[in-house]
Amino acid sequence: MSGANNSTDPAADELQYVQYEAAKEETYLPAIRQLISKDLSEPYSIYVYRYFLYQWGDLCYMALDPTNSSLIGVVVSKLEPHRSGTFRGYIAMLAVQESHRGRGIATKLVCMAIDAMAARDADEIVLETEVTNTASLKLYERLGFLRSKKLHRYYLNGNTAFRLVLYLKEGTALKRPDAEMGPVGDYQGLGMPQTQESV
Amino acid sequence: MAEDQTGPATASELPPDTIAAVDGAGPSRHVPAEPPRPSVGLPLRQQLKHQPAAPQARVHDITEKFTKASSALNVGQLVKDEFFTLFESIGALEIMDPKMDSGFLQPGEALEDACDTVAPLLPEELIGILDQLLCYEMAWHTGYPLSQTLFTSVYIDRLLWPEPRTLEQAQFYRGPIPDERRPGLMLEVLRSYCLALVKCCDFVIAKITGRDYFEEEDFCTHTYSRVLFTQMPMDVFQRELDAAIERLQDGTEMEIDPTVRDAIIARLNFRKDFLSALDLECSLDFIDRYWPPVIANLDPINTTHQLGKAVPGAFSFKIQRRLASTVPPRPTVELDFSDAFSKLKQLCTDGEEAVRVMSLDPDPLEYQSFLWAFASRKPTPLPYSRSYLCTLLFQESSVSIPLSDLKSLVFPCSTILDPSNWALSPPRNPMMPKPHRLRLAHLIDEFVERAGQAYLDFWTALGQNRCRLRRMLNHVIIGWDQLQHDAGFVDDDLMRVVGEMGIQDQVIPFPLTTWTYHKKLWMIEKIVLLGFEQDIYLPDEYAGMYLFLSSVSRRRNALLQTVLDHFHDRRSALLHSDAHADAQEVQDGAQYITSLLHEASGIRDLSLALSGFYTTLLYLRLIPRPTRPFSTPQLRDELRMKPFLTLTPQEMFPFPDLQAQILPYGAYDAPDSRLWEDLRGEEYWRDIEGHIKGAKEAFAQVKKLGAKAARAGGVEGAWGKEVQGVLASCVALGVEVAGVRRAVGWGEGGEGEVRTKVKVEIPGEGGRYSGGWVVGRVGRL
Ligand SMILES: CC(C)(COP(=O)(O)OP(=O)(O)OC[C@H]1O[C@@H](n2cnc3c(N)ncnc32)[C@H](O)[C@@H]1OP(=O)(O)O)[C@@H](O)C(=O)NCCC(=O)NCCS
Repeated sequence: MSGANNSTDPAADELQYVQYEAAKEETYLPAIRQLISKDLSEPYSIYVYRYFLYQWGDLCYMALDPTNSSLIGVVVSKLEPHRSGTFRGYIAMLAVQESHRGRGIATKLVCMAIDAMAARDADEIVLETEVTNTASLKLYERLGFLRSKKLHRYYLNGNTAFRLVLYLKEGTALKRPDAEMGPVGDYQGLGMPQTQESV
Repeated sequence: MAEDQTGPATASELPPDTIAAVDGAGPSRHVPAEPPRPSVGLPLRQQLKHQPAAPQARVHDITEKFTKASSALNVGQLVKDEFFTLFESIGALEIMDPKMDSGFLQPGEALEDACDTVAPLLPEELIGILDQLLCYEMAWHTGYPLSQTLFTSVYIDRLLWPEPRTLEQAQFYRGPIPDERRPGLMLEVLRSYCLALVKCCDFVIAKITGRDYFEEEDFCTHTYSRVLFTQMPMDVFQRELDAAIERLQDGTEMEIDPTVRDAIIARLNFRKDFLSALDLECSLDFIDRYWPPVIANLDPINTTHQLGKAVPGAFSFKIQRRLASTVPPRPTVELDFSDAFSKLKQLCTDGEEAVRVMSLDPDPLEYQSFLWAFASRKPTPLPYSRSYLCTLLFQESSVSIPLSDLKSLVFPCSTILDPSNWALSPPRNPMMPKPHRLRLAHLIDEFVERAGQAYLDFWTALGQNRCRLRRMLNHVIIGWDQLQHDAGFVDDDLMRVVGEMGIQDQVIPFPLTTWTYHKKLWMIEKIVLLGFEQDIYLPDEYAGMYLFLSSVSRRRNALLQTVLDHFHDRRSALLHSDAHADAQEVQDGAQYITSLLHEASGIRDLSLALSGFYTTLLYLRLIPRPTRPFSTPQLRDELRMKPFLTLTPQEMFPFPDLQAQILPYGAYDAPDSRLWEDLRGEEYWRDIEGHIKGAKEAFAQVKKLGAKAARAGGVEGAWGKEVQGVLASCVALGVEVAGVRRAVGWGEGGEGEVRTKVKVEIPGEGGRYSGGWVVGRVGRL
């Protein structure tokens, strides 16, 4: 991890943590896109970002460098009724600038997102991550997520994913599918390659 | 990116039945732009024939309307309607973005790579192209779309587009061509090879989509509106290859180095045999003769690969721009020749292995073992091979599958399954009661029919990739749970008839329920073991999950004990009435039950020992325990038990029981003082060691009884290895438990001190004797 020992960089708790604001799309969105797409083999279109931010901007948190307001880290999520019958949160994107990794910034962002979803009465939170993404697995599992499924060739690049799940409420497992919403799919997350190495 | 996302429309058009719907196994990826997947059983080729013509484009000028409408908005203001879903957003493209807009050209860039597909080729270049095609073909087999693999070939592109109406029209050029430009021998050879290669793809797609259920994530069936000679019979492709081989052998047309020529011929021969092996209508009578010649052709290809000369211009990434697809071009998938070759070899040897299913005893239990062993092969068989096996199996099975499975488990030599029951006719007068035996036959028919779908789902699961197998079993057991419920009613009726006949002592109580429950428990055990194999559980969950496994296998063991007692009773009764042949049959059948019984008790004991081992490690704080600020043990238990929550009878432990068992000394970081007394005593370890010993003995019995008794005679080798792996795990666990015990004895200082002396490492799947049996390694620091 380059720069981890660079003492001039602000530590995790010296950063500014802010919620996304739709009114500032022009300032924030290009930076978010740039940060996220660094770790993708292919870019998401701007509509993917807008899909999340337009509807769940309040579940997007950013870590900013207080000195120049540059974007250091971001988490993007959504929360809506799921076909399985639960009110389900989904963490769609998470990234921290490479030079700032390993100092709890992502952890803090994810905690903020979880708190926000819990406050809005989410039953559970799910996400997918590559089976080889040790940092991400460690981060989420430390917070309480468990692996619920292994998804063979989940990503476009042929890599396999774990589905991680965090229950927030008792009785979540017994909620019943909403027939109106059609079958429950395993392959309906983003299904995008998440790290550069694995392209 | 959109290609691998199902729009909601597609999702709701899935066949509304079966597990596909529940698992959502749903083709969520690589969904063709064509109509959605055909309903169950209808091969895609059917569908290709009826592909609707693309609607005529009509142009509307919307500039004015658009300008007017947008004047009502502020700059930068977003509008979104409720039909714009995540899938649309992922499928959306940004015009003028070079990575997304397939029509976007860099300054000076041409839309297509120029390639003269009738320019003469050197023999070495031909080899280079053929081998590169093989690489792309194998990349496709491993799950990448044709657009990023074979369809990057400019030659294949020419053959298939514009769509030729006859094979004659499928050329590297279209329309008239001056004689001096006519393709020479090398190009003709290439053409024959490409034609056959395309036909191979057609067969592969048809075979895979012909299954009721297949995994979209494993294999991409999209053909981008190209028709892969679906309508043309195989022999015309064979003839093209034959003609090419003949011209090469003749040798008068062109001077070729004999080594190079032989290398080319080997490739043509391979293609010919491979095509025959893939043929959908290949003869079942000679099914064992297809793969050996293909395999014999492989080495000559491998050893002559270096003769080839690469022709990069024969492939173009830009062809994707012209394929009917809504997604931007994606990078060509490059698979090394050596990797491609080993995939090919694997495909062929798996094909050869799959054929052996035809020579098995016609016994569903043998088939089940075969399916299990096939799915456990390493490397894991490719999707084509799995479809190939399932196609063979499903067309073979004329025996009533559930019936003969029932017979093996609960109806040894029984009046209930006496074939003569089915020969009786109902009384003329409908007011008269039906004969008892006929009623038995009807009840069994009713149940067998009811069980059919559950059985099929079970086998279908066994034919999936291992990740999906585990997920699918979670759903299959729900079907079996319902079946068990229904079996109860049929059992009541059955027992009533049996009672009236006065033969209660010949029948095990609740036979159908017993059979169904046994199968369900077996599947639950597999779900947990697959969970360990796939690293679904975190180390601090091991103690609880192995405990759950031991409780499930304990129940199965108890069930089997009743069954075995029944077999013994039957045998005594038959001997008593001098029915020696029948008694012998029952005795033979009891071998199977005995084998199952030992297996179940082995699983029970080994998992109990592991649960004890990991509980100990938790108290010694040798296993990491995440802090988990957002979760509670109860919520995690609920998540873990989700697949089993609705089962009857209840399989999981009520939460307080579970806690009591995996936290016998209170919290791991504040255990009560008895812990250290016990750890330094004898009894604590005697328990764990006793379970290990019990497991070892049980699996040794299973091994001794042999593959035939376990109804795995057809896969004796693989079965033996599996049993051996479990036995080795028992031994390894013994060693590690001794290691922990020694470490505990070293000092007086408690767990803190132990932690300074030893550490525990959890081996990855490759480092285990058996994937589902995770034995942590205790090492000195
Ligand atoms: C995953 C990611 C967001 C983590 O950001 P971060 O700010 O470094 O995360 P945190 O510091 O909060 O926590 C990461 C944890 O993983 C550990 N970690 C990081 N890299 C690791 C590695 N290669 N192996 C093992 N552990 C690793 C860290 O040490 C830390 O654990 P610790 O606090 O117990 O030491 C960041 O690595 C990233 O942007 N990756 C690329 C994008 C990505 O993978 N996103 C997640 C997709 S779901």
